Amino acid sequence: MTGDIELLKGAIALIGYGLGAVGPGIGIGIVVGNAITAMARQPEMAGTVRTTMFLGIAFTEALALIGFVLFFIA
Amino acid sequence: METLILASESCDIKNEVVCAPANVLELFKLPTWFHIGGLEFSRSTFLLFLASFVVMGILWAGLRNPKLVPGKMQLIVEDLVGFVRDGIARDIIGPEGTKYVPYLLSLFLFILVGNLFEIVPFTLYPITSRMAIPALLSLITYVIFVFVGFKKNGIRYFTDIAWPKSVPVALRWLVGLIEVVSTFFLRPLTLAVRLFANLVAGHLMLTLMLGSAAFFLVGVGDIGLKSALGLGWFGVGVGIYLFEVVVAVLQAYIFTLLSAVYIQTSVHPEH
Repeated sequence: MTGDIELLKGAIALIGYGLGAVGPGIGIGIVVGNAITAMARQPEMAGTVRTTMFLGIAFTEALALIGFVLFFIA
Repeated sequence: METLILASESCDIKNEVVCAPANVLELFKLPTWFHIGGLEFSRSTFLLFLASFVVMGILWAGLRNPKLVPGKMQLIVEDLVGFVRDGIARDIIGPEGTKYVPYLLSLFLFILVGNLFEIVPFTLYPITSRMAIPALLSLITYVIFVFVGFKKNGIRYFTDIAWPKSVPVALRWLVGLIEVVSTFFLRPLTLAVRLFANLVAGHLMLTLMLGSAAFFLVGVGDIGLKSALGLGWFGVGVGIYLFEVVVAVLQAYIFTLLSAVYIQTSVHPEH
Protein backbone atom coordinates (compact mmCIF):
# COMPACT_ATOMS: atom_id res chain seq x y z
CA MET A 1 0.00 0.00 0.00
CA THR A 2 2.80 2.43 0.78
CA GLY A 3 4.32 1.64 -2.61
CA ASP A 4 1.14 2.80 -4.34
CA ILE A 5 1.22 6.12 -2.52
CA GLU A 6 4.78 6.63 -3.72
CA LEU A 7 3.71 6.10 -7.33
CA LEU A 8 0.88 8.61 -6.99
CA LYS A 9 3.16 11.45 -5.88
CA GLY A 10 4.05 12.44 -9.43
CA ALA A 11 0.41 12.36 -10.52
CA ILE A 12 -0.72 14.51 -7.59
CA ALA A 13 2.05 17.03 -8.29
CA LEU A 14 0.84 17.23 -11.87
CA ILE A 15 -2.79 17.78 -10.82
CA GLY A 16 -1.61 20.44 -8.38
CA TYR A 17 0.20 22.35 -11.11
CA GLY A 18 -2.78 22.03 -13.46
CA LEU A 19 -5.14 23.51 -10.89
CA GLY A 20 -2.66 26.25 -10.16
CA ALA A 21 -2.42 27.26 -13.81
CA VAL A 22 -6.13 28.09 -14.11
CA GLY A 23 -5.90 31.40 -12.23
CA PRO A 24 -2.96 32.93 -14.09
CA GLY A 25 -4.49 31.83 -17.40
CA ILE A 26 -7.69 33.74 -16.70
CA GLY A 27 -5.71 36.62 -15.21
CA ILE A 28 -3.47 37.06 -18.24
CA GLY A 29 -6.55 36.93 -20.46
CA ILE A 30 -8.14 39.77 -18.50
CA VAL A 31 -4.95 41.86 -18.56
CA VAL A 32 -4.39 41.49 -22.29
CA GLY A 33 -8.07 42.00 -23.11
CA ASN A 34 -8.21 45.28 -21.24
CA ALA A 35 -4.93 46.33 -22.84
CA ILE A 36 -6.38 45.71 -26.29
CA THR A 37 -9.44 47.78 -25.41
CA ALA A 38 -7.21 50.59 -24.16
CA MET A 39 -5.09 50.51 -27.30
CA ALA A 40 -8.20 50.64 -29.45
CA ARG A 41 -9.72 53.57 -27.59
CA GLN A 42 -6.57 55.70 -27.55
CA PRO A 43 -4.08 54.61 -30.22
CA GLU A 44 -1.54 57.31 -29.35
CA MET A 45 -0.99 55.68 -25.94
CA ALA A 46 -0.42 52.24 -27.46
CA GLY A 47 3.28 52.18 -26.55
CA THR A 48 2.74 52.90 -22.84
CA VAL A 49 -0.21 50.52 -22.70
CA ARG A 50 1.85 47.78 -24.31
CA THR A 51 4.66 48.21 -21.80
CA THR A 52 2.26 48.14 -18.85
CA MET A 53 0.57 45.10 -20.34
CA PHE A 54 3.87 43.20 -20.38
CA LEU A 55 4.53 44.21 -16.81
CA GLY A 56 1.10 42.93 -15.77
CA ILE A 57 1.66 39.68 -17.66
CA ALA A 58 4.99 39.21 -15.87
CA PHE A 59 3.33 39.55 -12.47
CA THR A 60 0.40 37.23 -13.12
CA GLU A 61 2.55 34.68 -14.88
CA ALA A 62 4.81 34.53 -11.84
CA LEU A 63 2.31 32.41 -9.95
CA ALA A 64 2.01 29.86 -12.74
CA LEU A 65 5.80 29.64 -12.95
CA ILE A 66 6.11 29.13 -9.19
CA GLY A 67 3.66 26.25 -9.59
CA PHE A 68 5.75 24.83 -12.43
CA VAL A 69 8.90 24.94 -10.31
CA LEU A 70 7.16 23.32 -7.36
CA PHE A 71 5.95 20.55 -9.65
CA PHE A 72 9.54 19.63 -10.29
CA ILE A 73 10.47 19.90 -6.63
CA ALA A 74 7.69 17.53 -5.58
CA MET B 1 16.14 7.89 -34.54
CA GLU B 2 15.05 4.71 -32.86
CA THR B 3 18.31 4.68 -30.98
CA LEU B 4 17.10 7.58 -28.93
CA ILE B 5 13.96 5.78 -27.89
CA LEU B 6 15.32 2.28 -27.69
CA ALA B 7 18.86 2.65 -26.52
CA SER B 8 18.02 3.37 -22.94
CA GLU B 9 16.31 0.02 -22.46
CA SER B 10 16.72 -2.99 -24.63
CA CYS B 11 13.44 -2.99 -26.47
CA ASP B 12 12.33 -5.51 -29.05
CA ILE B 13 9.96 -3.58 -31.27
CA LYS B 14 8.71 -6.62 -33.06
CA ASN B 15 7.42 -8.32 -29.97
CA GLU B 16 6.81 -5.52 -27.44
CA VAL B 17 3.67 -3.44 -27.73
CA VAL B 18 5.12 -0.28 -26.21
CA CYS B 19 8.74 0.77 -25.73
CA ALA B 20 9.30 3.64 -23.33
CA PRO B 21 12.42 5.81 -22.92
CA ALA B 22 13.97 5.47 -19.48
CA ASN B 23 14.16 9.04 -18.36
CA VAL B 24 13.22 12.48 -19.59
CA LEU B 25 16.57 13.77 -18.38
CA GLU B 26 18.34 11.96 -21.20
CA LEU B 27 16.75 14.35 -23.66
CA PHE B 28 18.38 17.30 -21.93
CA LYS B 29 21.55 16.14 -20.22
CA LEU B 30 23.60 15.08 -23.20
CA PRO B 31 26.44 12.56 -22.71
CA THR B 32 29.84 14.14 -22.07
CA TRP B 33 32.43 13.69 -24.75
CA PHE B 34 35.57 14.56 -22.84
CA HIS B 35 36.83 16.31 -19.73
CA ILE B 36 39.23 19.21 -19.52
CA GLY B 37 40.32 19.74 -15.94
CA GLY B 38 37.13 19.52 -13.92
CA LEU B 39 34.83 20.68 -16.73
CA GLU B 40 32.80 18.38 -18.90
CA PHE B 41 32.37 19.01 -22.62
CA SER B 42 29.35 17.64 -24.41
CA ARG B 43 27.29 18.52 -27.45
CA SER B 44 25.46 21.21 -25.51
CA THR B 45 28.73 22.95 -24.60
CA PHE B 46 29.77 23.07 -28.25
CA LEU B 47 26.35 24.40 -29.22
CA LEU B 48 26.78 27.11 -26.60
CA PHE B 49 30.04 28.27 -28.17
CA LEU B 50 28.50 27.94 -31.62
CA ALA B 51 25.64 30.26 -30.63
CA SER B 52 28.03 32.98 -29.49
CA PHE B 53 30.12 32.61 -32.65
CA VAL B 54 27.00 32.81 -34.82
CA VAL B 55 25.92 36.03 -33.08
CA MET B 56 29.37 37.54 -33.50
CA GLY B 57 29.45 36.36 -37.12
CA ILE B 58 26.11 37.95 -37.93
CA LEU B 59 27.10 41.31 -36.47
CA TRP B 60 30.54 41.24 -38.08
CA ALA B 61 29.20 40.25 -41.51
CA GLY B 62 26.60 42.97 -41.50
CA LEU B 63 28.71 45.86 -40.27
CA ARG B 64 32.05 45.00 -41.85
CA ASN B 65 32.07 47.61 -44.65
CA PRO B 66 29.22 49.94 -43.87
CA LYS B 67 28.04 51.75 -46.98
CA LEU B 68 25.62 54.62 -47.26
CA VAL B 69 23.33 52.52 -49.45
CA PRO B 70 23.31 49.26 -47.54
CA GLY B 71 23.81 45.84 -49.03
CA LYS B 72 21.61 42.89 -48.07
CA MET B 73 23.46 41.69 -44.96
CA GLN B 74 23.91 45.20 -43.66
CA LEU B 75 20.20 45.86 -44.14
CA ILE B 76 19.24 42.83 -42.10
CA VAL B 77 21.64 43.63 -39.28
CA GLU B 78 20.61 47.28 -39.27
CA ASP B 79 16.99 46.18 -38.99
CA LEU B 80 17.81 43.96 -36.01
CA VAL B 81 19.86 46.62 -34.24
CA GLY B 82 17.22 49.26 -34.98
CA PHE B 83 14.49 46.98 -33.64
CA VAL B 84 16.26 46.56 -30.30
CA ARG B 85 17.48 50.14 -30.07
CA ASP B 86 14.23 51.90 -31.02
CA GLY B 87 11.53 49.40 -30.17
CA ILE B 88 12.94 48.16 -26.89
CA ALA B 89 15.54 50.50 -25.44
CA ARG B 90 14.33 53.94 -26.49
CA ASP B 91 10.61 53.28 -26.30
CA ILE B 92 10.78 51.80 -22.82
CA ILE B 93 13.76 53.29 -21.01
CA GLY B 94 13.61 56.65 -22.79
CA PRO B 95 16.56 58.75 -23.98
CA GLU B 96 18.99 57.12 -21.54
CA GLY B 97 18.19 53.77 -23.10
CA THR B 98 21.04 54.13 -25.57
CA LYS B 99 23.47 53.26 -22.81
CA TYR B 100 21.92 49.83 -22.42
CA VAL B 101 21.61 48.97 -26.10
CA PRO B 102 24.81 46.84 -26.29
CA TYR B 103 23.65 44.67 -23.42
CA LEU B 104 20.07 44.35 -24.67
CA LEU B 105 21.22 43.65 -28.23
CA SER B 106 23.59 40.86 -27.17
CA LEU B 107 20.91 39.44 -24.90
CA PHE B 108 18.29 39.45 -27.65
CA LEU B 109 20.53 37.95 -30.34
CA PHE B 110 22.05 35.31 -28.09
CA ILE B 111 18.69 34.09 -26.77
CA LEU B 112 17.21 34.23 -30.28
CA VAL B 113 19.98 32.09 -31.79
CA GLY B 114 19.96 29.77 -28.78
CA ASN B 115 16.22 29.24 -29.05
CA LEU B 116 16.35 28.74 -32.81
CA PHE B 117 18.83 25.91 -32.32
CA GLU B 118 15.85 23.87 -31.16
CA ILE B 119 14.37 23.74 -34.65
CA VAL B 120 17.33 24.12 -37.01
CA PRO B 121 18.10 20.72 -38.60
CA PHE B 122 21.60 19.81 -37.46
CA THR B 123 21.59 21.19 -33.97
CA LEU B 124 18.15 20.15 -32.70
CA TYR B 125 18.78 21.08 -29.07
CA PRO B 126 17.96 24.40 -27.41
CA ILE B 127 20.86 25.57 -25.30
CA THR B 128 18.48 27.64 -23.18
CA SER B 129 16.73 24.47 -22.03
CA ARG B 130 19.45 23.87 -19.45
CA MET B 131 18.69 26.10 -16.47
CA ALA B 132 22.26 27.41 -16.18
CA ILE B 133 21.95 29.74 -19.14
CA PRO B 134 18.63 31.46 -18.40
CA ALA B 135 19.67 31.65 -14.74
CA LEU B 136 22.94 33.38 -15.61
CA LEU B 137 21.32 35.84 -18.03
CA SER B 138 18.62 36.64 -15.49
CA LEU B 139 21.28 37.11 -12.82
CA ILE B 140 23.16 39.59 -15.02
CA THR B 141 19.95 41.55 -15.63
CA TYR B 142 19.22 41.48 -11.88
CA VAL B 143 22.67 42.81 -10.98
CA ILE B 144 22.33 45.54 -13.62
CA PHE B 145 18.94 46.81 -12.54
CA VAL B 146 19.67 46.67 -8.80
CA PHE B 147 23.03 48.40 -9.29
CA VAL B 148 21.49 51.11 -11.50
CA GLY B 149 18.66 51.57 -9.02
CA PHE B 150 21.00 52.18 -6.11
CA LYS B 151 23.41 54.28 -8.12
CA LYS B 152 20.75 56.65 -9.41
CA ASN B 153 18.57 56.93 -6.33
CA GLY B 154 20.73 55.96 -3.40
CA ILE B 155 19.02 54.27 -0.50
CA ARG B 156 15.72 55.91 -1.49
CA TYR B 157 15.43 53.20 -4.17
CA PHE B 158 14.86 50.59 -1.48
CA THR B 159 12.80 52.77 0.87
CA ASP B 160 10.50 53.89 -1.95
CA ILE B 161 9.75 50.27 -2.76
CA ALA B 162 9.34 49.08 0.83
CA TRP B 163 7.31 52.08 2.01
CA PRO B 164 5.34 53.31 -1.02
CA LYS B 165 4.00 56.81 -0.56
CA SER B 166 1.21 56.37 -3.07
CA VAL B 167 -0.71 53.89 -0.88
CA PRO B 168 -2.91 54.68 2.17
CA VAL B 169 -0.87 54.60 5.37
CA ALA B 170 -2.60 51.60 6.88
CA LEU B 171 -1.66 49.38 3.95
CA ARG B 172 1.84 50.62 3.31
CA TRP B 173 3.57 47.82 5.18
CA LEU B 174 1.68 45.13 3.29
CA VAL B 175 2.10 46.62 -0.18
CA GLY B 176 5.72 47.41 0.64
CA LEU B 177 6.36 43.80 1.65
CA ILE B 178 4.73 42.51 -1.52
CA GLU B 179 6.73 44.95 -3.62
CA VAL B 180 10.05 44.03 -2.00
CA VAL B 181 9.49 40.30 -2.46
CA SER B 182 8.26 40.85 -6.00
CA THR B 183 11.08 43.14 -7.07
CA PHE B 184 14.08 41.53 -5.44
CA PHE B 185 13.13 37.87 -5.46
CA LEU B 186 10.38 37.08 -7.92
CA ARG B 187 11.62 39.17 -10.83
CA PRO B 188 14.92 37.37 -11.49
CA LEU B 189 13.38 34.00 -10.68
CA THR B 190 10.44 34.30 -13.02
CA LEU B 191 12.57 35.86 -15.75
CA ALA B 192 14.77 32.77 -15.79
CA VAL B 193 12.03 30.19 -15.28
CA ARG B 194 9.81 31.68 -18.00
CA LEU B 195 12.49 31.18 -20.67
CA PHE B 196 13.57 27.81 -19.27
CA ALA B 197 10.06 26.34 -18.95
CA ASN B 198 8.96 27.40 -22.42
CA LEU B 199 12.03 25.89 -24.05
CA VAL B 200 11.95 22.66 -22.04
CA ALA B 201 8.28 22.13 -22.83
CA GLY B 202 8.86 22.82 -26.52
CA HIS B 203 11.85 20.49 -26.81
CA LEU B 204 10.02 17.72 -24.97
CA MET B 205 6.92 18.03 -27.12
CA LEU B 206 8.88 18.10 -30.36
CA THR B 207 10.91 15.05 -29.37
CA LEU B 208 7.86 13.08 -28.30
CA MET B 209 5.68 13.95 -31.30
CA LEU B 210 8.29 13.55 -34.00
CA GLY B 211 9.92 10.61 -32.27
CA SER B 212 6.57 8.84 -32.12
CA ALA B 213 6.04 9.67 -35.78
CA ALA B 214 9.41 8.20 -36.73
CA PHE B 215 8.81 5.16 -34.54
CA PHE B 216 5.41 4.42 -36.04
CA LEU B 217 6.38 5.17 -39.62
CA VAL B 218 9.80 3.59 -39.77
CA GLY B 219 10.48 1.42 -36.78
CA VAL B 220 7.47 -0.81 -36.78
CA GLY B 221 8.71 -2.77 -39.73
CA ASP B 222 5.54 -3.28 -41.72
CA ILE B 223 2.98 -1.11 -43.45
CA GLY B 224 -0.32 -1.27 -41.70
CA LEU B 225 -2.43 0.47 -39.14
CA LYS B 226 0.53 1.32 -36.92
CA SER B 227 2.28 3.12 -39.79
CA ALA B 228 -0.85 5.15 -40.49
CA LEU B 229 -0.76 6.36 -36.88
CA GLY B 230 2.69 7.71 -37.69
CA LEU B 231 1.21 10.10 -40.22
CA GLY B 232 -1.10 11.49 -37.58
CA TRP B 233 1.79 12.05 -35.19
CA PHE B 234 3.78 13.64 -37.97
CA GLY B 235 0.98 16.11 -38.68
CA VAL B 236 0.78 17.08 -35.01
CA GLY B 237 4.58 17.28 -34.92
CA VAL B 238 4.66 19.73 -37.81
CA GLY B 239 2.05 21.87 -36.09
CA ILE B 240 4.07 21.94 -32.87
CA TYR B 241 7.19 22.74 -34.93
CA LEU B 242 5.56 25.85 -36.39
CA PHE B 243 4.37 26.83 -32.93
CA GLU B 244 7.92 26.47 -31.63
CA VAL B 245 9.20 28.90 -34.25
CA VAL B 246 6.84 31.52 -32.81
CA VAL B 247 7.71 30.60 -29.21
CA ALA B 248 11.47 30.83 -29.88
CA VAL B 249 11.30 34.36 -31.27
CA LEU B 250 8.66 35.50 -28.79
CA GLN B 251 10.55 34.29 -25.71
CA ALA B 252 13.71 36.06 -26.82
CA TYR B 253 11.73 39.26 -27.34
CA ILE B 254 9.92 38.96 -23.99
CA PHE B 255 13.15 38.33 -22.06
CA THR B 256 14.77 41.41 -23.58
CA LEU B 257 11.62 43.51 -23.15
CA LEU B 258 11.25 42.59 -19.50
CA SER B 259 14.95 43.31 -18.87
CA ALA B 260 14.38 46.77 -20.37
CA VAL B 261 11.23 47.27 -18.27
CA TYR B 262 13.06 46.33 -15.06
CA ILE B 263 15.91 48.70 -15.93
CA GLN B 264 13.33 51.40 -16.63
CA THR B 265 11.69 50.98 -13.23
CA SER B 266 15.13 51.40 -11.66
CA VAL B 267 16.02 54.46 -13.69
CA HIS B 268 12.61 56.16 -13.35
CA PRO B 269 11.11 54.81 -10.13
CA GLU B 270 8.34 57.38 -10.03
CA HIS B 271 6.38 55.48 -12.74
